[in-house]
Formats: sequence, structure tokens, C-alpha cells
Amino acid sequence: MSRERRSLRLDAALCSGHGRCYVLAPEVFGEDERGHCVLLVEQVEGDSLTAALSGEQNCPEGAISLHEAP
Amino acid sequence: MSEYFDEEGKPILFGPDFSSCPQPGYQELRTRCPVARTSVFDQVVIARHEDVVRALRQPEIFSSRVDLQLALGTERPMIPQQIDPPEQTRYRRLLDPHFSRRRMQRLEPQIREQAGRLIDGFFSEGRCEFDRDFAVPLPCNAFLNLFGLPDDRMDFFLEIKDDIIRPQVRHEDADPSHMKEIRAGAGKRMYAYFEEAMDERMDVPSDDLLGSLLTAEIDGEKLERSEILDICFLMLLAGLDTVTATLGCNLAYLAANPEQRQRIVESPQLIPGAVEELLRWETPVTAVPRVLLQDVEIAGEQLEAGQMVTLLLGSANTDPEHFEDADRVDFERARNVHAAFGVGPHRCLGSHLARMELVVAMEEWHARIPDYRLQPGETPRYSAGIRELLYLPLEWDVPRAS
Repeated sequence: MSRERRSLRLDAALCSGHGRCYVLAPEVFGEDERGHCVLLVEQVEGDSLTAALSGEQNCPEGAISLHEAP
Repeated sequence: MSEYFDEEGKPILFGPDFSSCPQPGYQELRTRCPVARTSVFDQVVIARHEDVVRALRQPEIFSSRVDLQLALGTERPMIPQQIDPPEQTRYRRLLDPHFSRRRMQRLEPQIREQAGRLIDGFFSEGRCEFDRDFAVPLPCNAFLNLFGLPDDRMDFFLEIKDDIIRPQVRHEDADPSHMKEIRAGAGKRMYAYFEEAMDERMDVPSDDLLGSLLTAEIDGEKLERSEILDICFLMLLAGLDTVTATLGCNLAYLAANPEQRQRIVESPQLIPGAVEELLRWETPVTAVPRVLLQDVEIAGEQLEAGQMVTLLLGSANTDPEHFEDADRVDFERARNVHAAFGVGPHRCLGSHLARMELVVAMEEWHARIPDYRLQPGETPRYSAGIRELLYLPLEWDVPRAS
């Protein structure tokens, strides 16, 4: 099992509050009062990486991205 | 012989083929004429995902100020749908919290109870006309709940909504030139009703949506009554018909595809994914209008400022350039970035309400009526534009009382 770590980024200017991320992966994404995305963690690995990927893949605005962890 | 295009090769978007089974027509548009002109109205139709999404994200070029062109009985633009940023953003900041997923979850028990009650009303008959008996009343009830309005006003609102969205249905004999008057008349009835409802709430404050709008402030200033009316108008037009149409499209699809229906009956946890995938595949709200504020080039075509454009969400959602296996309906699609609720700053304000209503309705229906079919010899009838199943006669077996 690889323990790949990635850092999670949100482009808040692109988020328009579809809410797909926090419905599909509530352990990684939360919502603010308007229903826009809030990142609950900065680094993901293992299960949280899988969850983060599902949020990233289903964001209609492409506002979520995963990067090499520093 | 398909009737997606006329003899000049122009798409017949309001014809029966585009209404009942639009996907092959979309495909032909994307490959043959991604920027097409229609015969009726002076519309340019944009079909590729890339172009549709780019337009939705550029409100400074593709404006939503289409109130005068559409003439839907409004006296001013509907808020926030027919307003552009940055003004639109101020309204969205105020309205978004009232329509957040968390807030909509509070309405869920009422919607679930109402869905169950509607089904209990016709279950023992073994048949129903799905549109009239279920798909129309359920979202109207949700709308009344949200605004804190009495249930007995349902028929009043349904008549107004229908007079505005499809006046020809309730006024078959009226001359087509009278449609504008019928719409304006319905608009006036709507304005008058909400004026009165606001008066009541001025006397007795309430915490429903209408009461909240009366006390809400943007940058320290209360909303004008006309602004509240323009918000109410949108909710009535956008909140009822769209969910009604989606419920009909879903049940028509599942009645015609029993193996897919069997999957969600056996595994109800697939229902949220099925709702998303059917939003993509059916895209009941097929298109959104915009007007160009400047000259622009799309897919090699020069378009001029002032041009009305139709952004075909349904075609964007079935574009193989953007979706893997775009023609396969997969309730477990790993990547489903459909644009059924639009994208960009105008993302459907009611999307969280709609999703909740759709999931709850599908759960309650399939728990009670897992096995159903179209009544033999009948043909479902789709409306043009927003794809409502105006006629969807279903039947099922009723266990005999022992």
C-alpha cells in the first residue's frame, strides 16, 4: 500500500456552491453559510485522498485540485 | 425519418423529437453545426460543452438580461436569474443561505410525508397519471412550505405558472397573439397575491422565506417590495416546473428501462447517483438563454452584439468530448460534472432543494411501487422547451387483500 500524500487546493473564486464535494466527501469538504466549499483538511492520504479525488472529479466548476505535497 | 431538422437543416428545438428523445439531435448538432440558427425566433443555438460552459462563465459577454425578449409576464427582470454580476452577486449572498443544502434538509421530512401521502392516494387503484397525480403537486407543495403559504392555494399558483410557461395548454382556443396578454394577466395576479401576503407579514412577522425577505438587508438597506416580488416571481416559475419535469423524465426513463429500475429497487443507496445521472442524460431544462453584450466568435462563427443565444445544456451534458461513454446511462458514474443546474455565477439557486425533492420522491416511490410500467397502448407525451411529461400513464400490480 502506498502512503501517497497530496495537498488539497480550492479556487474559491470558481466555486459557485454546487455542493457536490461536501455531499460526496464530507470528511474532507465542508460548507460555509452560502453553501460554498470549505476545505476541512490541507493534506490528504489513504481514505481521505480517495474522498478528495471524488470531490475533485465531481466539481462542475473545476475549483478543486490536488497537488504534490510539499 | 427523424424530425430533428427542417428542410433547411435548421434544428426544430420545439418539435416532438427534440422533446421526447433529444440526444440524437444533440449529437447531430454538435458534429454538423455546433453554432446553429433556428427558423422560429432569431436564435443562435450553441451545442458543444466547451462553448456552453465558456459562455456561462462569461456573464460580461453573455448577459442574462433577457427579460424583455422572453416576455414572461414580468414587469421587471426576475431576481437574481435575469440580473448580471456584480449586482446579481449581492442578491446571491443574501439568498444562498436560504437555499443551502443544510437549510433544505429541514424541509425533507415534510416533503417525504407529502410524497407518501400522494402515493397512498392512488396506490390501490393500480394506476395513475404520473404528471397530474404526483409530479405536479409535490414541488408545488414544497414551494408553499418554503414560503409559508397555505396548501389550499396550490391550484391558484399552478394556474399562474401554467399561464406563463405554456399558455397554449390552458387556453387552447385562444388566438396565439393573445398569449402575451395571458402571461401579463397571470403576472399581475401573482404580483397582487404576494403584495397581500407581504402585508400580512408586516402585521404579523413570520420566519418563513417571505417573512425573512421582508426583514433582510443588503449593505444595511432593506429590500424594496418590488425586489421581493421579483424574487417571488422567479421562485414560482423556476421552482415548480423544473422539478415536475425532472420527476417525469426519471419515471419515464425507468419505466422504459426495467433493468435499470431493478438496480435502484435492489440498492436504494444508488438513488442519489441515479438522480445525478438522469439529470445529465435527460437534462429536463434543456437550455438557458443569454443575450450578447458584444461581438464574439464561437466555434469559428462571428456573432453580433444583441444576438439572443440558446445554450443547450442537454447537448453539453451528452458531449462525448467531455464525458466518457457519454451515451451510457451509468448510475455509478465516477466523474459526473454535468451542467444540468448550469455552471458559473448563475448556478441554479434551488439546486439543493431540487436534489432533495428528487431523491426523496424516488426513494418513496420505489419503496412503495417497485414494479411499474407504462399503461399498455399508451404513449407518453413530452412538452417542448422544458421537458415535462404532460401525459405519463403508469400502472402496477396491487396485492389482493386476503
